[in-house]
Amino acid sequence: MVYMMGIASKFVGLLLSGAGAVILTYGMSKEGDWMLYVVGLFVMSLGLSLLTARRQPTEIHPPPPTVTEIHCDNSECDFREIRDFQRGDYVLKKLPAKCPRCGRPLTIHAIYVTREQAPSTAAS
Amino acid sequence: MLMQIPEGTELNQIINLAFFVFIVLMSLYGQRIQMWQWLKQIEGGLAELKRMREESRSTSIETFERYGRPHEEVESDIDRWLDFFTIMPVDLDPAGVLQRLEHLLNERRDRFGEFIAELAPDAQEAERQNLENVLEVTQVLDLIYRIVRHFYILGKRTGSTLIIMQVHMQMPELLRIAKAYYDAQEAFADGKPIGDGVGPLVVTRLAHEYGATAESYVHDVAREVGYYEVKVEGRIVYALRATGPGGTVGKPGFAVKRIIEDNNGKIARIITVDAALKLEGEDLGRISEGIGAAIGDPGPEKHAIEETATQHNVPLEAIVVKQDEAAAIGVMDKKVVDVIPEVIERIKAAIRKRTEPGDRVILAGIGNTIGIGL
Ligand SMILES: [Zn+2]
Repeated sequence: MVYMMGIASKFVGLLLSGAGAVILTYGMSKEGDWMLYVVGLFVMSLGLSLLTARRQPTEIHPPPPTVTEIHCDNSECDFREIRDFQRGDYVLKKLPAKCPRCGRPLTIHAIYVTREQAPSTAAS
Repeated sequence: MLMQIPEGTELNQIINLAFFVFIVLMSLYGQRIQMWQWLKQIEGGLAELKRMREESRSTSIETFERYGRPHEEVESDIDRWLDFFTIMPVDLDPAGVLQRLEHLLNERRDRFGEFIAELAPDAQEAERQNLENVLEVTQVLDLIYRIVRHFYILGKRTGSTLIIMQVHMQMPELLRIAKAYYDAQEAFADGKPIGDGVGPLVVTRLAHEYGATAESYVHDVAREVGYYEVKVEGRIVYALRATGPGGTVGKPGFAVKRIIEDNNGKIARIITVDAALKLEGEDLGRISEGIGAAIGDPGPEKHAIEETATQHNVPLEAIVVKQDEAAAIGVMDKKVVDVIPEVIERIKAAIRKRTEPGDRVILAGIGNTIGIGL
């Protein structure tokens, strides 16, 4: 949405600066028609400022959700569960619940967030 | 009406004059206008810093309120504590500066501990450590805000280009750091593991792989630091980390020193594992190896490791996981979690290649153990 608006304002900017340039040239060619001259300058500067305006800093994103990954203690069993973080969770905490597949104890394996990729990455 | 003025030399002269006046004004006052623009931009940044400071302060108050004291008392006590300072020891006479620094840091920790215990009487030990971290975030944000505000007011009053330009140029960096701290506070308040905790987590996973448990952890070999003793391919490994899941870094440097001395210097290798700041463009979670003590304390701990290692001629090796500020002090990133098995493999390879069976090895996981159990 914001991106589309950015495109639109660039387009209007281009249009305005073009129109301004035409009016300005016309005003300059007609000796003494200073009003056209001024209007041309104004329209063109408006267009250029729209063209060169940088996008507003993006609005604040809510932090990505923290998840808790739970593994079964039995190394043969591949039971995994990922749920939302709850206060009191910590890595390597033994949970009271038992594994639904083999009945062995469950442990919190990791707690993490998945951040979105940083926008700028250099060519590597 | 204007259009009816007959076109002529008078009008042209007026336009020419206006143009000339404009040029003169711009060349005389252009810099002023630039300063005014910069001040406006600093004002914007300052407002953002202030917002983060206020919100962080409220988070601190809310978090402390959970542990037994009424709102008003918590509020006034936190405000009193916000600009608590530590004066760095004089280094004009460098002899013994590290001992003096260590002395001051101990004092600071004691005072902090005392304050937290007073303000959150119902908190458990681990929760107190987390609360300490929560408060530290607010302190940092408060400090950044107050310094920027100082230079903003000073710049505005004196009109000094030098002052205004400096603040203006540093603003994006300051905002980035402040944002990283601001985002991290949630992790500290809820006791979530942070990116800096990758060292202790790696060490603990490795120790558990070789049979260590929370019960076999030897507590308090140095302040808030202990170790698991495990056998890895015939070598005895002292897997050292701060005691979690409270948020503390402990004093791993002194723990390393003590283990070396307890073994009469018969340690074959010291491997430190830590998080390190990545450069822009480097991948988050990149593993990097090197020589030396990977520990980012103000000095005394690193000195203790280097000094003892040199005395007993113990090689120092370091493995770091690269992260940016936001990832290091914020909730641990998935990418960091994903590289842990690879770090463990590299540690095993180092032990296999560069020590002999029967040797004793210290493996120190450096970092904040918030949210990482034993
Ligand atoms: Zn299972």
